[in-house]
Amino acid sequence: MKKLITILSVITVFFSACDKDSSTSANKTTGATSGSGTTGQGGSLARFTIANDYLYVVDDQKLYTYSLATSANPQLKGNINVGFNVETIYSFKDKLFIGSSSAMYIYSLADPAHPAKLAQATHVRACDPVVANDSLAYVTVRSSSRCGGNMSALIVYDVKYILQPIQRNAVPMTSPWGLGMKGNRLYVCNGENGMNIYDITDPIYPKLLKQLAGETFYDVIIADDLMVCMIQGGTALYTLGANDDVNLMAKITN
Amino acid sequence: MNIDQRLKKPLWLAFSLLAIAASSCDPFGTKQREPQPSNDPPAEVDGWAPVYNNDPGASAIKAVDPKLIENGGKIYIKGDTLYQLEAGKGIHVILVKQPANPQKLKFINVLGAQEMAIKDNILYTNNLNDLVVLDISNINDVKVADRITSVFHMVDGNQPPGSGYYECVEASKGQVVGWETKTLKYPKCRK
Repeated sequence: MKKLITILSVITVFFSACDKDSSTSANKTTGATSGSGTTGQGGSLARFTIANDYLYVVDDQKLYTYSLATSANPQLKGNINVGFNVETIYSFKDKLFIGSSSAMYIYSLADPAHPAKLAQATHVRACDPVVANDSLAYVTVRSSSRCGGNMSALIVYDVKYILQPIQRNAVPMTSPWGLGMKGNRLYVCNGENGMNIYDITDPIYPKLLKQLAGETFYDVIIADDLMVCMIQGGTALYTLGANDDVNLMAKITN
Repeated sequence: MNIDQRLKKPLWLAFSLLAIAASSCDPFGTKQREPQPSNDPPAEVDGWAPVYNNDPGASAIKAVDPKLIENGGKIYIKGDTLYQLEAGKGIHVILVKQPANPQKLKFINVLGAQEMAIKDNILYTNNLNDLVVLDISNINDVKVADRITSVFHMVDGNQPPGSGYYECVEASKGQVVGWETKTLKYPKCRK
């Protein structure tokens, strides 16, 4: 009995912690302000990201760190080996989340000039952009002949204990690509199958709210109420209204 | 007892060997799904294709009049301005102050461009395998503020940036400045 109570309280603490963090986490998918100066926002498929006055670049194997103390003259601080088939980089607060075709890597930016590896979560072989907040990382894995693998899903990692990411859920999807987060909503591009919008009030169990159809969606940036989507042939602009209204404003395809 | 024990060990060994052999044959579990290209390239498959450049004038980084989006790539937004990469060729600059009525402002020629990020009025992108730093304070007159040569491995003239099938490179078609994702028919190359 005592054991059961302990387990239940641990679970309760865990869930309440997640709730608190997801509701307080910033709306921005990538840092809009970082150190001095303002930066923009990139998509989840990016290999460049700016955080804390540093530019971080991943090529297929390495992570490069440039100081932007003088913005117009970046200084290379170093490069480190990450892994193979590295594809994406995402920064959140003092962490970098790096996606490769076989793993998600987490680096600390406690010393921003020298990112230090904290953990890695190996997953099925597939393409895998990442978004994250304080407690969770959402990764899409898309199997295809290009990326390999035989599973396509939205994977939810618990990163509360950052040194040991734990997979909590895997939501099957058809062809997931890039993804973005705003508050308790998660927007996941599903290739030619449109875009899935999930309620992540319960962050471990994304609940499908609606699907946008009509375009082939590859990546998404949420900038306040504007949703910019990389689609087949160009870009689509949507506004996000109350009650999860998503309104197509324009397509830029020529 | 003795017989059992003697039997158990070889059996256990045999099973382990079998398991190792089976797993090493198909380390990613893809064998049944993906035929080997050398013998049997798929009729239609998601893969990569090289982007070629034949225009010697395109190697100069500068802002030019807006261009058609041919193969729109990665996106970036800062303030009211949206940037979309044209894989291997440069960056479309689009004003989205009124989302219902976006206005193309300029196209920045950057050979090999695949990536970008912006801080203040400085845009960082790759010009093939160089990191280039562009001053975009005046979008009509973009200037190269700095260049760090051959630092990273962003564009490979021979192979795509990721694994999978790709359209084989034909040198006669020009310089490879990037790679685009494409549906391929009977591809002959694979990374």
